[in-house]
Order: sequence, then structure tokens, then C-alpha cells
Amino acid sequence: MNVKKFWIPVVFIILAIFPPFFLSQYWLHVMIISLFYVMMASSWNLIAGFTGQVSFAHAAFSGIGAYVSGMLAVYLGLSPWLGILVGMGVAALLGLGLGYLCIRMGGIYLSLTTLGFSEILRIIITNEDRWTRGTMGLQVPGFFTEYSKASYYYLFLIIAILLLIVIYWIIHSEMGLTFRAVLNDELAASSSGINTIQVRILAFTISSAMAGLAGGLYGHYLMLITPDIPSLGQMFLVLAMAVIGGMGSFVGPILGSFLLEILSEYIRIYGEYHVLIFGLVALSVARFAPEGVIGILGKKWESVWAR
Amino acid sequence: MGTIVEGKGLSKSFGGLTAVKKIDFYLEEGEIVGLIGPNGAGKTTLFNLVSGIFHPDEGKLFLNGRDITELRPFEICRLGIGRTFQIVRPFLKMSCLENVMVGIIGRNDRNRGRAEIGREAEDLLKFVGLDGFEGTIAGNLTLIQKKRLEMARALATEPRAILLDEVLAGLNPSEILQALALIETIRSKLKMTIFWIEHVMGAIMKASDRIIVLDQGEKIKEGKPEEIVSDPRVIGAYLGETDA
Repeated sequence: MNVKKFWIPVVFIILAIFPPFFLSQYWLHVMIISLFYVMMASSWNLIAGFTGQVSFAHAAFSGIGAYVSGMLAVYLGLSPWLGILVGMGVAALLGLGLGYLCIRMGGIYLSLTTLGFSEILRIIITNEDRWTRGTMGLQVPGFFTEYSKASYYYLFLIIAILLLIVIYWIIHSEMGLTFRAVLNDELAASSSGINTIQVRILAFTISSAMAGLAGGLYGHYLMLITPDIPSLGQMFLVLAMAVIGGMGSFVGPILGSFLLEILSEYIRIYGEYHVLIFGLVALSVARFAPEGVIGILGKKWESVWAR
Repeated sequence: MGTIVEGKGLSKSFGGLTAVKKIDFYLEEGEIVGLIGPNGAGKTTLFNLVSGIFHPDEGKLFLNGRDITELRPFEICRLGIGRTFQIVRPFLKMSCLENVMVGIIGRNDRNRGRAEIGREAEDLLKFVGLDGFEGTIAGNLTLIQKKRLEMARALATEPRAILLDEVLAGLNPSEILQALALIETIRSKLKMTIFWIEHVMGAIMKASDRIIVLDQGEKIKEGKPEEIVSDPRVIGAYLGETDA
């Protein structure tokens, strides 16, 4: 790793320490939500951008993380710190199961099956209101006894950074090479000794686990878990962030998350239409600039450290 | 020398079309065997059966006496059969070095670091004459370079037998000579068995120890190159006079 490659993230991390000192509570909240989306979009990018499997169950897995951790805290009094890990484990297991079931289908069938899974989960959560409190929302405890946005900001920051380090490590490891080989040409990868089905299930499981962790964090931050977390609206927002930021690059989804979350604060007054707008923008980006904002910002910059 | 790959009574149909009909073949260790036949004769289908992309409807495949009929492509690759494709399929959006590294990872022999894999991939690129292209994205290569890269990736899996599907197609005469030199080096230096499909007759006749001729899914002739060129059935198959 060259010096420049090493210092750019370090500078960003140091800069990220300061926002709580000067941002208002409101903008700090926006930053925390952005960090949640960074985790979501980056982990979704791991399957969609690096192995080419467009899953629509990513928000569903974050919902699983949130509800598992939340319900454990409410009904069993489990600490959220442990709860999010259990939630992550359950998301990983369900990811493995769903992956095993539908990954052999591949392509559009995988997308449709995950879409179905996502809707089924949302309907179950909405209707099983005895346990989940349905659309009323489940009130869950937070991580800290004394509520402060700054503590949550640092918690989200640290976990997002750890998650990004893991993702960076994966895409630059041998595993990442096999991911990209599967994305480029599955038949050729298989004929080169790569167990493509195992690779795809592995990517799906890792990515689901990450979504579960992000969802658990999110739930205990909001302290109110609703079926909005595993909703398709949320899913398309994550998708738009990754696509607009730049799928298949490391930095793209991070950039896209901040960009769209901050932007959506300004256009919130128009109601839920912002998801529609982002969807349309994401479609145009996918069609005309498949490498996203990162691609537009220039290959030169990308070659320095985005990959 | 013993038989390394053997197929017994292989058949494969797609819908009503029988692409390969009851074919028996074998490859001896260290042999170069050519597979020829007119378009649609079933050559690539036979390759796809041997490399596990399709499974035969009937018949059995053996590698060193082990039944590999139902194995998946990556398992067959790991057991020692590598291949290239008629229409080249390098990983277009990856660098040449990464392409070859995938083949090394595909061997699935653990305990080697990324640096070591990288060094080995560099050596293989040098072996096929692509030194200096390590960082080049495969999609930007010329056709012959892509073919060389595909060969390097196949070699990276350390096959005992390698299937080459029309490596000479689309190359100019001087490139053909380079490719032939490379194939000869693969045999003499790496002691691999080579099974290849080729339409460039002069080249395959000169370089092969033995030739198998397919026509309409059936094996119509097998023998030394000089026996093949004078066989009336082979000439008939190519000129379309089988019914005469």
C-alpha cells in the first residue's frame, strides 16, 4: 500500500472526529443516519457490485437485525450490545439459508426471490403485532444510559469504520478476487477451479450479516423499530445510494450515502417522493454512467485509492 | 505413459438435436491430440462434457481411472483438466495479473500468501509472453493477447491435461506460429497432455500425435495425421459428400 493510499483514509477519519463539536443536534442526527446508510450501501455493494447479485433483501436483513436485537432486549432484557451481535448472527443464518435456496437460480430470479422474501418479512412483522407491535413500532432501549447524539455518532463512526475495513480487506483479498471473477464471467471462473456457488453464497451471507449489524445499531439508536426498516422503500434508497455513488468501487457507496441522505433532508418537504426521484436518478446513472459519481469524478482519482 | 482422460460412450442431446453420439476417446499422458470436424460436429460439446459444463446423457468420463462424469467444472478443474474457450472468456474487467491469480486460487491449495500468488502469476504471464501487461485490464488486450492470457489462466490451475478450443482462430500467420511455439513449449516443458480443437488444418496436422475426427456428433475416424488426410470419409465429411 503506498503512502497516499494510507493517508487519505486517515485524514478522513481524523476529520470525522470533529463534527459533534460544531454540528447542531439535527445535523448530527443526519450524520448518524448517513453512517447507517454507509454500512448498508457498502455491504450491499459487496454482493451487488462485486459478485453481480442484485439482492432486494438487504433492508429485510437489516430489519431482522433490528427486530431480533430489539425483541431480545424488550422481552428477555438482553443488553443491546449483545443483542446486535445475536441479530447479526440471525441475519447471517437467514442469509445463508436464503442464499442456499435461491442463488443457484441467479440473475433476475435471485432478485425476484429476495424481493418476495423482503415483502413476506415485512408483512409478518406488520401482522404479528403481539410480538412486534406492528406498525405502532416496538420501543426498545438504547445503548447508553445517558442519551447523547455525540456518543451515538462515535459508536456509528467506529462500527462503520470497522465494517469498511473488513469490506476493504475482503475486496483486496483472494476472496475478493474470486468475487470479481464470478461477476466478470461465471462460467470461466468455474472452469478455472472457482466454486462459484460457494463464492456467491459466501458473499450473500457476509453481506446479510453486515446488514443485520447495521439494522441492530439503527434500531437501538432510533429506540423505535417499525416495519419501515425492512421496507422496500428503504431498500431502494440503499440501492440508489450504491448505484449513484458508484457500484463496484469501495468509495462509491460511502459517497452516495452521504450525498443522498443529506440531499433527502432538503427535499423531505415533498414527502416520500424523494425515493421516487432517487430511483429515477439511479436508473439514469445505471444507464449513462454505470460507474456512478465516483466514475464521473475521474479515473485518475479512482486509480489512486478507490479500488 | 498411461491413459489420463477417458470417455466411454458419451452422448449429449439438446432437445431433439443429438450433439454428441456415443463417443469413445482417450488421451495418453503427454500426448497432443487434435479434434477436428466440420462446424456443428460436436467438438465444443465434447469439450464441455469433459470440462463438466454439461453432463452427458449417457456414458462415463474418467480422469486417471476416477469417475468424473457428474462432477462440476471447478471440481474437474481442480482434479487436473484445464481449458480455454472458443470465444475467449478472460475476466474482462480485471487486470491480467488478477486473471491469472484467479486460476492459482482455483487450485485450492492453501498456505500461500497473496504476494507469492502474485509472483507466480507474473511468471506465468512471462511464460505466455505477456510480461509487462500485469496491470493492463484484460478487456483492453488484442485477441491474441486475450488468448495468451486465457492460456496462462488455464495453466495457473496446474492441469495435467489442457483443452484448447480453437486457440489459432482469428490469428494471422505469424501469430499462429507464436501460438504453436507456445503449445509445443507447454508440452515439452510442462509435460502436459493437450487436447485441442482446430480449424487451421496445416497446424493441427503438423503438431498433433493423433487426430480424432467428428462429424454430426459421431467419431468417424481416429488415427495419425497422415492417415487422416487421406481418409475418404474425412474428406467426404469436409466436402459434404458423405452420401455419395
